[in-house]
Amino acid sequence: MIEIKKLHKNFGDLQVLKGVDLTLKPGEVVSILGGSGSGKSTMIRCINGLEGITSGSIFVDGFDVSNKKELLEVRKKCSTVFQQFDLYPHLSVLENITLAPVYVLSSSKKDAEAIALDLLDSVGLADKKDVFPAQLSGGQKQRVGICRALAMRPDYLLLDEVTSSLDPEMTAEVLDILKKLAREGITMISVTHEIEFAREISDRIVFLDQGRILSDLPKDEFFAGDGGLADPRIARFLSKMGEFNGQA
Amino acid sequence: MLDLASITEYVPAFLDGFIITAEVSILSILGSFILGILIALMRVSSNRFLNYTSLVYVDLFRNIPFIVLIFFGYYGLPEIGVYMDAFWTGCLVLSIAVGAYVGETIRAGILSVEKGILEAARSFGFSKFQIYAKIILPIALTISVRPLGSVFINLILTTSILSSITLNELTGVSKVIASTTFRPFEVYVFLVIFYGLLTFMISALISLWHRHLNRYLGEEAS
Ligand SMILES: Nc1ncnc2c1ncn2[C@@H]1O[C@H](COP(=O)(O)OP(=O)(O)OP(=O)(O)O)[C@@H](O)[C@H]1O
Ligand SMILES: [Mg+2]
Repeated sequence: MIEIKKLHKNFGDLQVLKGVDLTLKPGEVVSILGGSGSGKSTMIRCINGLEGITSGSIFVDGFDVSNKKELLEVRKKCSTVFQQFDLYPHLSVLENITLAPVYVLSSSKKDAEAIALDLLDSVGLADKKDVFPAQLSGGQKQRVGICRALAMRPDYLLLDEVTSSLDPEMTAEVLDILKKLAREGITMISVTHEIEFAREISDRIVFLDQGRILSDLPKDEFFAGDGGLADPRIARFLSKMGEFNGQA
Repeated sequence: MLDLASITEYVPAFLDGFIITAEVSILSILGSFILGILIALMRVSSNRFLNYTSLVYVDLFRNIPFIVLIFFGYYGLPEIGVYMDAFWTGCLVLSIAVGAYVGETIRAGILSVEKGILEAARSFGFSKFQIYAKIILPIALTISVRPLGSVFINLILTTSILSSITLNELTGVSKVIASTTFRPFEVYVFLVIFYGLLTFMISALISLWHRHLNRYLGEEAS
């Protein structure tokens, strides 16, 4: 379980997160929506410890993110997929995927490679195992990014706009993989601007607005006219995203 | 006229000098490389003490003429009880001095590693040491290898100054031969050829290394 309590995050004088409470139970898929600058990325970055928190707390299965020693456990439990892929450019696809299992989890190279090959196979990239990231298309890179994250056998998957750098065709190929993962019961928090995708995979939708959670509702309620959509800020956001025009 | 026949009997002496120059060069390249990596790591460290010490080191050794350093090492240090022969003094002082340049070169490579890649690595739980050893330094090297080549070629050329502390490396040997044969022109033609040979070999090695390290760039797909 990921438990975020009264999370505040400031950058200097700028208050980015102003008391966020959020709980993610095993097996849940939660999508985070919200306008640009509302603090979505910052929240994700606080969970895996890339940003220190100003006050409040984040616990992942009882491990405290702000405790230096426990942070490693948190990072073993949470794997992140990044918007810009951020693969290791000097390593082959296979090495990109096996590096963390071998050095962080101390898996044997043989086991790590077997797992990596299975994962690559499942995303249709088995034949690319020996090439370098620079030789892949954006969609292929992100599929490797997903494999890299899954190779850690994470309890939680953190996704921050993983398709924003991709054209529509590549977006579809990556979203298909994530949908499959969601169906298989993986636990994940996904920041996304793909409303249809969020609607399809999520159990809950969390809407962030200027560093506060404006609504945290089961998917159906969020998209219902008398639920989340009743809030004009959410309605405006969704219509701006080109969805649900006229429904609000 | 060029009369190489007049100095053929000195070819073995040239070769001896060449070997010493090559030995000093190789040892100093290794020494300055290792030292340079340490300096670069200190320069990018968040520890104020390491950071400042390495900055002073770099500024100091890049701003003192090499000949002053080598005189200091060879004639100065024995006064405080540190004795080393000309060969090892040369290797040590060269390593230390060139280490400053290597350090700055590698530091530039380290700073050019994309932030997102480092954050990805941190998020996966690698230790700081692992991130440096497996990700930052390998990427930095691929970027630094070309400028490193120039630094090392400069190092080879600088070994000629070691003749001033009695080391009979190429230049030292040549001076002796030139003054015994009264054939400076031929002698220095030989000298140029030998230095050319050495720097050419280093250039070729650096090119191979560059190609190996940068093989990952391949042809960019779409
Ligand atoms: N390292 C930082 N230093 C200072 N300000 C920052 C930093 N990171 C983010 N911010 C600011 O915090 C606010 C929230 O940023 P964040 O990236 O979390 O937004 P977001 O919801 O992910 O937006 P987007 O949809 O555009 O990705 C923004 O105003 C941003 O400028
Ligand atoms: Mg963002």
